[in-house]
Amino acid sequence: MKLLEYEAKTILRNAKIPVPNAVVITRDFTPELKLPVVLKSQVPIGGRGKLGGIVIVDAPEDITPTIDTLFDLPIRGYLPNAILAEEKLAIKNEYYFSIVINKSQATIELVAHKNGGVEVEANDHDSFLHVTLNHRNAEQAGEQLAEYLDLPGQSFVLQDLIENTYKCFVKNDATLLEINPLVLTTQNKLVAGDCKMEVDNSAAFRHPEWDFEDKPANANFVVLDNQGTVATIANGAGLAMATVDAVATAGMRPANFLDIGGGASAASVLTAFERIMEFPNIQAIVINIFAGITRCDEVARAIISAKSHITTLPPLFIRLAGTNFEAAAELLAVENISILATLDECLSAAKEVSNG
Amino acid sequence: MDKNLFIAKNVIIQGITGGQGSFHAKAMKAAGTNVVAGTSPNKAGEVVDDIPVYVTVNDIMKDHSVDISVIFVPAPFAKAAILESITAKVPLIICITEGIPIHDMLHIKQRIVGGSSVLIGPNCPGVLLPGVNKLGIIPSGMGLAGSVGIVSRSGTLTYEAMAGLTARGIGQKYVIGIGGDPVRGTGFIECLDLFENDPDVTSIVMIGEIGGTDEIAAAEHIKNNITKPVYGYIAGHHAPAGVQLGHAGAILGSDDESASSKTARLTEASVRMSDSIVQLTQSVK
Repeated sequence: MKLLEYEAKTILRNAKIPVPNAVVITRDFTPELKLPVVLKSQVPIGGRGKLGGIVIVDAPEDITPTIDTLFDLPIRGYLPNAILAEEKLAIKNEYYFSIVINKSQATIELVAHKNGGVEVEANDHDSFLHVTLNHRNAEQAGEQLAEYLDLPGQSFVLQDLIENTYKCFVKNDATLLEINPLVLTTQNKLVAGDCKMEVDNSAAFRHPEWDFEDKPANANFVVLDNQGTVATIANGAGLAMATVDAVATAGMRPANFLDIGGGASAASVLTAFERIMEFPNIQAIVINIFAGITRCDEVARAIISAKSHITTLPPLFIRLAGTNFEAAAELLAVENISILATLDECLSAAKEVSNG
Repeated sequence: MDKNLFIAKNVIIQGITGGQGSFHAKAMKAAGTNVVAGTSPNKAGEVVDDIPVYVTVNDIMKDHSVDISVIFVPAPFAKAAILESITAKVPLIICITEGIPIHDMLHIKQRIVGGSSVLIGPNCPGVLLPGVNKLGIIPSGMGLAGSVGIVSRSGTLTYEAMAGLTARGIGQKYVIGIGGDPVRGTGFIECLDLFENDPDVTSIVMIGEIGGTDEIAAAEHIKNNITKPVYGYIAGHHAPAGVQLGHAGAILGSDDESASSKTARLTEASVRMSDSIVQLTQSVK
């Protein structure tokens, strides 16, 4: 899940990582604000400042109209549920600071750059500092970072920052903790100007405290193209991806990725059909099942049930193989539903009924 | 990896009394795998299909030597289960469980390095040596003993490839699912080396997908170290950026992680790449 800035900064504050003084404004409640104040629209979009999502207010009479404007301003389609009101920092310098997971090395890594802020991606790839972190080396990493950022006087502060962000990263099952910019104020304080944080959905079982605006996405049903003409149903993530690939390669517009999972039951397949019927332009449904743990006859029963429940069901092009195939073929034959031998046959047939 | 790791030996199942564990314990036994025992925290002394149940791996080791553990323990407890087998120095650990937190896997990887165990998975279908040993959930009826080595991140595409080859009368020596998680035990490179070094293997099938850069590293490795013919396919050519497709690891971040870039790099490494899984199984000679 991707946390919003105010959610991430609450976690940082609790982890003793310096953040600006702030209050959260909701549609129903505006607390008292100290001027000047920075009002930041809480949307999960990078570069929102350039899109009007961040406004500095100096005059008391501008507060209410600015808040109203921000709540009504969609940023790349997102309307905020909250606005973060922060003290205005006196900025001397902006750095890039993040903790990430290096997947290929299976390590936790500090990544930093001298030039932070919205243009961080323009920096040369090789000019970033990368330091592998563990629970013992914050001191040494802090020295390295102080030297790299040319902040010799801040070595201890950076050691604390690294130690606290590392602990925060692990404790919260984070997969990304990015402080950009890390602001050096004119009073030589280091403060997290903005923060992007992502946490691991798989770890939700040990975080009863997680209650964020973002909810775990259903990774098994993904909308690819709302205007798509061919829906796909497959079992297993790889086969579902391969089915989408095949539909697109055959020159049609796949609407969705759908993995009904290993051991898919009749009920889950029926739900899948209902989701697919929400697309406006579907002209064909391609079903590609290779049953290992899944049983073909279960899928066949679900198909038959869907046909009788959903009267407007577009034509189905079905390829089934694997466990209990014979039983499935018998069931479908009784209902006059045909099975095609290969995915390729499904695709050619689907192409005839869809407009591509 | 030593090829002897996989040959018929004493196999245990951690999490043998759960729905998945008990079902697949029976299937493995039926396929001829020597399942000697299983674990379950509260059901010691019971039997599953005549397989005795113990509390811990260490308890089993008082009565049996253990060469391979296949793990079906639910995700919240899987880290402890894997560490238990690592501590007990089980030579081969195969973790089927899906949904293990990535931080747990980081911890496990640190323990694997410098330890004596090989880990395959998690979030994988395991390993099948058709006619020899079934270690996990790969349907053994679809395999045929032979000389192809298959390695794949996806379970169902592993089955597709195996069944497609079997239908053409081309048998397999190894069918290995390495799993769909971003941080996993054994990767492509270890499996490629296993296939290269086993004289029984004559050709290699490698199936990757979007997300991560392991296929890119594998391409480099193939260029320099693999002499046997490799046939490949990458799933997810039409994946949108930044969205997870089923597998925790199947998420397209940078361009490097895309199907087209991986396909290009593998093609450069002389891997015979296919546009679809069907084409892949038809291309193997």
